Order: sequence, then structure tokens, then C-alpha cells
Amino acid sequence: MNIHEYQAKKILQSYGIKVPEGAIAYTPGEAKRGAQRVSPHGPWMMKAQIQSGARADGHFLEKKAGRKGGIRLIKHRKDIFTEAEKMLGSTLVTKQTGDKGKTVSKVYIEKYYKTKQMFYAGLIINRNVPCITLLITPSTTNVLELAVQEPDKILYTNLGLDDEVTVEQTTKILDFLHLNEKYRDELRDFINKMHKAFLELDAIMMEINPVGIDSEDKLIALDAKISFDDNALYRHPDIWQLHDDYEDDAGTLKAAQYGFGYYKLDEGSIGCIVNGDGVALSMADMLDAHGEQMACFLNVKGGVDKDKISSGIKIIMTNPRVEGILINILGGFLRCNLVADGIIAAASEVGLNVPLVVRFEGTNKDEAKDILDSSGLPVIQADSMEDAVVKLVKAMRESD
Amino acid sequence: MSILVNKSTRVLVQGITGVQASFHVKRALAIGTKIVSGVSPQRGGTKYFGVPVFNTVQEAVTETKAEASVMFVPARAVKSAVKEVVEAGIKLAVMIADNVPVRDMLEIKTMLKGSETMLIGPNTPGIITPKEACLGIFPENIHQPGNIGVVSRSSTLTYEAALEIDRAGLGQSTVVGLGDDMIIGTDFVEILKRFHEDDNTKAIVLLGKLGGMYEEICAQYYADIKHKKPVIAYIAGTTMPFDYKMGYAGDIITHGKITAEHKREVMRSSGMIVVENLSQIHEYLSALK
Repeated sequence: MNIHEYQAKKILQSYGIKVPEGAIAYTPGEAKRGAQRVSPHGPWMMKAQIQSGARADGHFLEKKAGRKGGIRLIKHRKDIFTEAEKMLGSTLVTKQTGDKGKTVSKVYIEKYYKTKQMFYAGLIINRNVPCITLLITPSTTNVLELAVQEPDKILYTNLGLDDEVTVEQTTKILDFLHLNEKYRDELRDFINKMHKAFLELDAIMMEINPVGIDSEDKLIALDAKISFDDNALYRHPDIWQLHDDYEDDAGTLKAAQYGFGYYKLDEGSIGCIVNGDGVALSMADMLDAHGEQMACFLNVKGGVDKDKISSGIKIIMTNPRVEGILINILGGFLRCNLVADGIIAAASEVGLNVPLVVRFEGTNKDEAKDILDSSGLPVIQADSMEDAVVKLVKAMRESD
Repeated sequence: MSILVNKSTRVLVQGITGVQASFHVKRALAIGTKIVSGVSPQRGGTKYFGVPVFNTVQEAVTETKAEASVMFVPARAVKSAVKEVVEAGIKLAVMIADNVPVRDMLEIKTMLKGSETMLIGPNTPGIITPKEACLGIFPENIHQPGNIGVVSRSSTLTYEAALEIDRAGLGQSTVVGLGDDMIIGTDFVEILKRFHEDDNTKAIVLLGKLGGMYEEICAQYYADIKHKKPVIAYIAGTTMPFDYKMGYAGDIITHGKITAEHKREVMRSSGMIVVENLSQIHEYLSALK
């Protein structure tokens, strides 16, 4: 789960990390009052709160929003209201949002901090070791591009679960960033606080880009991004509260409610229901080989509740982009007959308006096939994954 | 012959009295799995399917000399379940649960370091040596004994592989599901090593997928093996745009080298047979006969 910059900053602040004074605003009036509160004389930063990186380099689709990106420096008080007016309700397109962009429903007004130096600090789960890895680089632009093209420009430091960053590690980071020795304690403290927050809150990614050194020689988080482990959210009801329903696809949200996984692709017209990610990936490859593309997949995992499975199937059946459905279940923990019951329940509620191919294998397969056969639903049954793909593609072309 | 488990492996079931465990324990017993004990707190002293139940793993090990454990415990309880098996010196533990938090897995990996326990999973169908022992949730009717080893990082693709082996008229020595998760107890290398040590395993089917570098590490290991057994490998996710789970973070760590295509290249150059499509597996297997 992702949260907004202003929420992430509040969390970092509660761990003792310095962040700019800021106020969230849903209207230009709130922006004006907020600006007055955080810094009476300015200047200010106004930042579009959408969950995407590269907001500064983005552009708005609407002319009224002006040519500038989603992060703007504002010097005069009179401009706050008008700039907020421009951004609010407008659509910001960044490298990460896709062409459609995201609507800006709130902006964050911050006191502007002049900095002497800036760098990038990130913590991520490194599954190869496995451990938590700290990434440091003096470059504050595109870290991913840097990782691909010039990996030497990033310093990778592996951190344990209980350990704080060591003296040696701190020295390396200082040298790497060409930072003055006087920042040693400050830097070490900053990283330890990040690490502590990361661990305690079950984060899987935390980026502060940039960290600035302000005029008082303090390290300050000028931007913040945190992603949390969905599987651990039960331990953090307060974090779960920060979830912005507006940011997620409705399918993802509903699937999460039932404990299922859901993944949406940018293109494609086929909705798949599987009980394992590997099969979904494999099916995407196979569909591609037959000239079709997957629109989304739902992973019902080891689901054991017929009602939940039926609700999950409805997510796919009611997705307007879906022109054909492929259900491929290899029963182990999950019993095929439950899925068959779920299909019938879902179809009777929302109707089955597109071709549906089902392939059952494994636990209680014969029972499941009989259930579908005697249901009267126009379900096409298949014997293998490839058979299912071929049959669906054929049915879709015939129904065109 | 087989790897990890066979008909004489003394198995204990953690969480034996749960609804899911019951379903799968019955099936495991039916194929001959030597389940010697079960663990269920506060149910010690009772019997379940004729299997004696204990309150703790330690008691079960002392009383029944159990050496392997299959854990039917929910994600929220896996940490303490692993702690118990590590302390009792269990050699092999299979973690079925899905949705295990990443941080818990990091802690579990720390617990396992220096211990005698080998952990398979989480989020795995488990391990099966057909007609001998099943530690997990395999649909046993699709697994026949034979001499093809299977190791997989995708639960459901594991079943597909078994069906392919069946199509080729062959069977499996042992099937090992490593688990679908980001962080897993045991990776390909250890299992590949064991299959090479097992006389009964003539060839190996390896199923990988997008995300992480487990396949690359395994290819490196395989390249250095002197007497290689044939490995038929399949990687799912060629048409996916990136590491869809770890996304950005995964890409930073692997410097963008995370595509399925990259995995396939590395595996091919290590000497593995890389198939483009699952249904090619039986063709290659038939050719090996």
C-alpha cells in the first residue's frame, strides 16, 4: 500500500526526522490559510498530492493549470490562491501515471527551505540477500535510470534487522557524498531513524528524495515516499487508515478485501482468474502468443470460501474492459468445486455476457466439471492451459 | 530413491487439528506418508486420524522422533512455528501459509542461519515424493513416481509440470515447490544440488518466474557443475513489463536486469534447455528417453 507525501512526512516527523512545516489543502482558500500558518512571509512550495514520482517534471492536461509541473515554488502570497486554483481539479501526467494522468484533489503547501546540498536516501527490501538495503546517491533525479545505466553512482549498504548503521558504514556514506565530517552524527542519526520507521511500520520501500542540508546544518526530508507490506497491514490499523481509495483501481481494492491478489495491465481485453501468480504470468505469455492480451488477473490463492470466490469472480465479470474470461484452477489447497459454485453464483448475480472458458485440474476436479455441466451456463470447458487459451480466443473471434 | 522425503521420513504436522490440515493430512496418509505425530497447542494427549497429538514440537520430537514438519499454521503464527522447529532440531520444515509479512520472513531467515533446519516455502504446495510421502497440499492424483525431479517457484505451475511429465509417460522422483513469495526459505541451488546427488533423478524440470534473481543465481551454479543432468527450464512472465511485484525497488537492486528474457538468456548459456511454452516440456522429456 502506498501513501501520499504529506502522510509520509508526518510519519517521518513522528520518528524525529526533520520535515518542512506544511499544510494540506483541498481548496484554494485552505491553501491560502495554510500558507499563512506554515510560513507567514514565504516563499512556499506547492506540491500536487498524487501518488506518483517525477511530479515536478510532469505536466497538466488542462490549459488553465499553466505550463509548470506538479511542484511549484511560490514567492508571493497573492499567487497562492491562484496557483492552488490552477492545480486543484486538474490532471497531472507524469512518467509514472500513464497518459491519462491523475486528478489532483489536494495540494500540500510547505515552507520553502534553502539547502546547501542535497542527496537521495532510500531503503528497500533486497530479496536477493535477503536484507534491507540502504541506497545513497548524490544524484537526486531519476534513481532507477541511474541504477540501470550507472550503478556505480549508487552506494548500496545492507542493513540487518536489529543493527543500527555502523561507524564504518557512516564513513563510507560521508565519503561517497563528499559530505563534511561535521555531518557525521546528524547523518547517522537520520539513517537510523529511517531504518527504525521502516522496520516498525513494515515498510517495503521508503525514499527520501531529496534529503537537504538546511541553513542550520540540519538534514531535512524535502520529499518522502513510503510503501507498506500489504500482508502486514493487520499490525498497523493506523496506517491502513491512511489509504486513499481514490488512488487505487476499484478492482484492486475489492480483491484486497477478500484476501485476493489483483493485477491490472495497461492494455488487453481478457480477464483471468487463477490460483497462483506463476500461472497468470504463464497465461499472459500464452495469450500473447495467440495474439491476445491479458487485461487483468485475479489470484484467488488458496481461497476456501465460496462467497468470497464468487465476489472475486464478479470483479472480473463486471470489468468493462473484459471481453473474454479465462479461469484456470489447479486445485491443491483450493478445491475446484468451490470455484465452480462461485462461478455459478457470480453469473446468476451479474450475468455472463462474454465468453467464459474454464479449466479445472486437481482437487475435486470431476465434481467441479459436473457442477458446471449441469448448471446450464454457456461455459466452455478445457483440458489444459493451452486448450483453454485456444478455445477462448476462438470463442471471442466468433462472437465478434 | 528421491530427495528430501521418502516413505520412511518421520513427519509431524504442525496445526494438525485445523480444518485445512485435516483435509490434506487424510490425503497424505492415504498415499503412505509416515505421519508420526501432530502438534496443536492444548490438544496434547489426543489422537487425530490415529496420529498422536502433542502440545509442542519438542514433545513430538522427543516422543515420536519426528524429523520433518509440515506447517499448517496461518501467516500470523509462522514465526513461532519456525522457532519451535529450529529449537527442536527438525531437519526439514515446509511452510504452506501465504500472505506472510516480509519482515517476518527476514526474521525467520535470521533464525534459520546456523540452524539444522531447512525451510521450504512459504506460500508453497510443499514437497511430494509420489506414492511415498506428501508434505503439503498437492493434488496427489496427478503425481506418479518416476525419475524426473521438479523444482518450482510457482505453486500452480508445479502442477502443470507434473501433467506435462505425465504426458511424456514419465513420473517424478520428487517435486519441490520453493514458494511464490519474494523471500523464500530455500532456493533453486540447494534443490538442484540434491537432484544431482540422487541416482534416481535422471532429469530436472525447473520452473521460474519474473522477479528476483533466483534463476540467475541457479544458472551460475549449474554452469559450474561437471556432470550435469539435463535441466528443462521454463520462465513465466515474458510478456509482463517488469517485476510486477517489487516494481521499482526490484529494478534498482538488479540494475534493471530483471526481465524474463534476461533470465532465459542466462539459463540457456549455463547449459539448460529453456522452453518457450509449458507444453514443450513433454516434448523435450520424450526426446530424453
